[in-house]
Amino acid sequence: MPFSLKERRKLAFFAGLVFFHLILISLQVPKGDQPTYLERAFFAVFTPVQHGVVSFFKYLGGFWKNYFYLRHVQRQNQDMRDEIFLLRQENQAFRNMLLKFRNATEIQEQLATISRSILVCSVIGFNSSDIYKSVVLNRGSLNGLKKDMVVLDKNGRLVGRVIEPIFFKEARVQLITDKESGVGVLSERQKVIGILSGYADGKCLMKYVLRTNKGIEEGEEVSTSGFEGIYPAEIPVGKIISVSEDATLFKKIIVDPYFDFAELDEVAVLAVDLRELY
Amino acid sequence: MKSLFEAAVGIILAVILETVLGKISAPLLFVLNAFSWVVLYFSLTKHEVFGAVMGTVCGLLQDSFSLGVFGVAGLTKTLLGFTAGLVSRKINVIPVTRNIVFLLVVSFAELAFWKFLVFFLFGERLALGGGLVLLQPMATALVVTLAFQIVRRRREEGL
Repeated sequence: MPFSLKERRKLAFFAGLVFFHLILISLQVPKGDQPTYLERAFFAVFTPVQHGVVSFFKYLGGFWKNYFYLRHVQRQNQDMRDEIFLLRQENQAFRNMLLKFRNATEIQEQLATISRSILVCSVIGFNSSDIYKSVVLNRGSLNGLKKDMVVLDKNGRLVGRVIEPIFFKEARVQLITDKESGVGVLSERQKVIGILSGYADGKCLMKYVLRTNKGIEEGEEVSTSGFEGIYPAEIPVGKIISVSEDATLFKKIIVDPYFDFAELDEVAVLAVDLRELY
Repeated sequence: MKSLFEAAVGIILAVILETVLGKISAPLLFVLNAFSWVVLYFSLTKHEVFGAVMGTVCGLLQDSFSLGVFGVAGLTKTLLGFTAGLVSRKINVIPVTRNIVFLLVVSFAELAFWKFLVFFLFGERLALGGGLVLLQPMATALVVTLAFQIVRRRREEGL
């Protein structure tokens, strides 16, 4: 049955849209780390909407919690006071330990720099296609965020790094669970070196450990090595949950990252390179 | 003009829903894809050309919120919007059961095509969210059927 002129026009329009997408995809070959202008435009227009939605619900939640739902507040305050007390003791103990190696003024200056350089950010959006790839933060270039700044969870464990696009009040973070990410890591006991990248369903793969290497076991902790020049050394990353071998030269080492998606409400961005301080 | 306004409201609602769902629990985004809801709703009500345009906009929007090849979700959703709109004009999908089955089939086809592109063409590992993503076509079919039937009945009562 022949198509009418109206139907032909519709088909031509549809073919044009498909062609537009194919061109758009082709323009990204080879795939670089810079987002396209169109992607930047969409991000710039719609992330403020996300920002607004999250702020609105935060405000509503805050209003409810601050003025109405005050059960257990006293108990929570007491728990927090206890925790602050313990953290102060711990902080003092670390300061005393540091004093053995450096003079007090130098340490005071460096600790002040560190505390000024930690930016607390809220996560306002997750990756729609695959949540384990990236998140969007509610801070951007106006707050001093720059590409490759390190992102930690509330317990100081590695989450990822800031990547493009970075706008005035929003920025994207590549998670360590993204397959395209790469983190230089070390195992806890034998200091076996590897590269960590995303694997599947929130797990990571520690790559390039030779199968002849016997110094790595399940249950070992993995931390950053600092060799790749982005992440400072000694940041806890995760725990090895399986070590196996296949036909390749390398072991297949699966790592369960420490950071928890359920607790990824707030993160800390290190606005300073810790390696410059120590 | 009214259609454009409705489309804009639909897109903003999808962004709000995606944000709220992600904040409630990130794995919910594997099951509930608000961008697909909007594309399918407009394909059913305004047919193929409008569906394809909504597919392009919502797909590119989903791509901009994601890390990866920009345009994959755009292409997938454009195909979804056009196909769903065209088929819904050729056959009667208004009865509830037919509506659910039709939406289930097109949602599953969308998911399969998207995963095919991501896995075979771009070599990325499939993110199945522990199998949660397989529930996405069912959730999409139920939500869009519900929205479509509610709006249709309201309009009928209004007339």
